[in-house]
This record gives sequence, C-alpha cells and structure tokens, in this order.
Amino acid sequence: MTELLDDFLVRSIIAGLLMVSIAAPMGCLMVWQRLAFLSDTLGHAAVMGVGLGLLLQLPPMFGVLGVVVLIVVSLSQATSFNNALSETTLAIISHTGLAAGLILLGILPANTVSLEAILFGDLLAVTLTDLGMILVTTLVLAVLLLQHWRSFVAVSVSREIAQAEGIAVRKVQLLMYLMIAMLVAVMMKVMGVLLIAAMLVIPTSSARVLSSSPERMVMFSALFGFAALGGGIFSSFQFDWQTGPSIVLSATTLLLITLLIVRRVGS
Amino acid sequence: MAAELLLRARNISYSSSQKLILDRVSFDLYRGQITTIIGPNGAGKSTLTSIVNGLIDNYSGELERLPGLRIGYLPQKVYVNTLMPLSVERILQLTRSVSGSEVDAALAQAEVGYLKNRQVQSLSEGELKRVLLARTTLGKPDLIVLDEPTAGVDVTGEIKMYELISEFRTQQNCAVLLVSHDLHLVMSKTDQVLCLNQHLCCSGRPESVSQHPEYLALFGAQAADSIAVYSHRHDHVHDVSGQHQDHHHD
Repeated sequence: MTELLDDFLVRSIIAGLLMVSIAAPMGCLMVWQRLAFLSDTLGHAAVMGVGLGLLLQLPPMFGVLGVVVLIVVSLSQATSFNNALSETTLAIISHTGLAAGLILLGILPANTVSLEAILFGDLLAVTLTDLGMILVTTLVLAVLLLQHWRSFVAVSVSREIAQAEGIAVRKVQLLMYLMIAMLVAVMMKVMGVLLIAAMLVIPTSSARVLSSSPERMVMFSALFGFAALGGGIFSSFQFDWQTGPSIVLSATTLLLITLLIVRRVGS
Repeated sequence: MAAELLLRARNISYSSSQKLILDRVSFDLYRGQITTIIGPNGAGKSTLTSIVNGLIDNYSGELERLPGLRIGYLPQKVYVNTLMPLSVERILQLTRSVSGSEVDAALAQAEVGYLKNRQVQSLSEGELKRVLLARTTLGKPDLIVLDEPTAGVDVTGEIKMYELISEFRTQQNCAVLLVSHDLHLVMSKTDQVLCLNQHLCCSGRPESVSQHPEYLALFGAQAADSIAVYSHRHDHVHDVSGQHQDHHHD
C-alpha cells in the first residue's frame, strides 16, 4: 500500500477522486442556492490569502483559510434573512481579492509562487501530507453533509418554509459557507482555485439534465466528475497538456455532449 | 371544553426602514380554531405571519408560543427552483421525515394524488398550491400558517380549498392561521377574524367583525352584505350574538 502511494500518479488519482466525490454534493448545494459565483469569489480572494500567508511566513493554506473564513462570516452577517448574497457584492470581493493578491505576490521575492500554480494547482505533484489533508477534509465534510442533508436541501428549496418549520436557516447557511471555505482552502494547493470552482459547477450542470431527485443529481455529478478527471489526466499525459485545465475542459466537453444527447432524445 | 392556547401575542409592533408596519397587535391562537387575517394591501398581514412563524425576530411586544410548537407553512409565493430536481413526493418530505402512506393520504385528501411522481417544476400554479397545502398537514403540526393560499386559484378551486382547510383543522386538531383578502369566501369557515390595517381594527367572530364600523370603512358595505348572504346560505351554526367581539382601540 505504502509503495503504491509512492507513485505520484496513484497519489494524484486518489486526491482527484476524493476531491470530485466531495465536490459533487457541495457543488449541487451551491448551484441549488445560486451560490456558484461564491466559489469563484472565494477562489479569487484565496489568491490574496496565499500572498498574505507567504508574507507572514505561514503555510499558504492558513492564509487562505483565514481570508475565506473572514469573507464568508462577514457575508453571512451582512445579509438579512430575505436577501441572498448579491452578485455585485460577490463581484467586488472577487476582483478586490484578486487585485490585492497579485500585488502581494509581486512584493514577494521572485519565483516564490506562480499565479498559475494558485489558479490550477498541480495535481500531479501531490505529496503524502497533501493527500492526508485532503482525506481528512473530505471525511469531515462528508460527515457534516450526512448530518445536515435534510436541512441543506430544505433551505435550498425555501428558506421561509425551512425557518418556519424549525430549521435554523442562518446557522445552516453559515455552516454551509464555512464548509465551502474549508473545501477551497484545503484543496487549493493541489487543485488550484479555478479547478475547484469549475468542478463544483460544471459536472453539476451536466447532472441536472439527467436527474429526477436531489440525491440522484449528486450521484450523477460525481460520475461526471470522475469521467472529467479521467479524461483530463489521460489527455494531460497523451498531449502533454496541463492537468488542471485539461480536467476542466473534459468536464465542459462532457456537458456539451450530454446536452446534445438530451436534446436529440427529447426532440 | 376550553381549547388549548397555542400562541399568545401581546402588543406586537414592527417597523422596517423607519416605517411602522404593525402597531400594538394582540391576539391568541387556540387549537382547533381557524383564524383569518384580513386587511387591505400593505396592512402588514404577511409581516404578522412572518412574526408568528419566527421569520422576523426584531419586533417589539410579547409573543409566547407553546414550547415545541410545530408549524406547517405555506408562503404566499414559492419560487420554484429550476436548478434542483424535485418530485412532488419529495417536497412533501422536505423538513420532516414522513412515511410513504402519510404522503399518499395527504395528496389524496387534497385531490392531487395523481401528481405524486411529477416534478415540481412541471406543475401549474394551482397544482403547486394544492401540493404545498397538503404538505403543511404532514408531520403532525400544531399550527398551520397559510399566506393567501388561494392566490392564483379559480373561484371553485378556492371554495374547495377552504373546505379542505376546514377538514384539516378537524382532522389534525390543529390551529389554522390564514391570510386572505377575499373575505366573503373565507368567512363561513372562520372562528376568529383579525381585521388588520397596521393596527388591529377589530377582531372576533366573522358576523360581528363584518358589522364593525372600521371594517365597513375599510371594505365597504358591499363586503358586509356578501358575507351575510354567504354565511347564511352556507352555514347555520354560527351564533349571531357576536359575544366574542373584541375591540382594540385607544
């Protein structure tokens, strides 16, 4: 087993599988609650987190975790019960985070970290420690999802009904934001912020057109995610493309094929 | 037999953006009774139900709920989320776990059993209302809160819906809090009317409220006539003395 984990390809495939498995339910929840843009915002703000972390000589992950948790907590405090997150607010945070991040990275000595690594990570360079972190995060998120699934789904359908019928909507919402923050912060080094954001949304969109229940949509999202992962890693080896972007494009290709087939069958 | 007091509201006031929306509103909700809130647009009807429901908590005044009070809620407007696949059967199990036979029974009673396997997105507005109405009765609620349940439903559907609500109340032995602006159809099934226009203009049994000067000022004499006609034709058990009439004026 240990020998097997010595192989970088095995490590990266396990990391990818874990990430896709947890991105499926998280991505569905985000899409249902129209939070797709939040992952983008957190991703861009994470660039600032990396810069801060490096500047303070902390592991970048802590910088990222600090910044994204600060953002989600203030967002959940600033929004009233009836007003979901405004796209404008998210866009402002997104651009500011990216701009501040770029300046911070520019201040740092050259070649400390590349923007490309932050955006797309390096799946093929995953270490044993990274793998451990990813495994723990995936397990924690999975347990929280199982515990609170009914509340998460109910809040996605109607905040009013959920609150009236005994679900503490704001707490549930904050928990969900914190879970998204955790996902982004821990997975970032390996997956990169853009890959995470893409994997939360693209396989989910493919799954939507085939699903008749929330749980099926999660299952199909995972399957589409696995397929994109496989296709991405394969084309990365075959054509010597970067792994992260290859996975994203595989996911989009699958989405287009699914839409075409569904339209064919439907007409 | 005295009915169980489920909720007691005393001098509830609420302002939003410095605009007074509710002004010292007091009322009680009892098990087994249907309470109807009537009032013109902007009277604060939905705000009042939101306070009862716990959706708004920055009001002033006192609100005592029976500990562990279970609410079933039908909001005025439900935005169907097209991004989420959801069957009718599943939306009935949204906040509480309910057995399949209970789901079937609730749908059958609302005469929408045939919709069970349909996706919520494919329903018409009227169908959705009936499904969501059926949903509120599941999980043994103590109080069912219905905010304009008949908006978007035709008149025959409306009468049926009120009959259904009245059936639920007897069957579940729960209280019903109903928001309505179509007075004449509601009245015959109602035990208590709260006539709201920021403050509580008048409250009590429907027959007495319909004769109250403030009610007549709000809705006109025509409304009073149609209520009298309707309740007379439909139901003879009301006591006409209006003993429960209750004024809230300073």
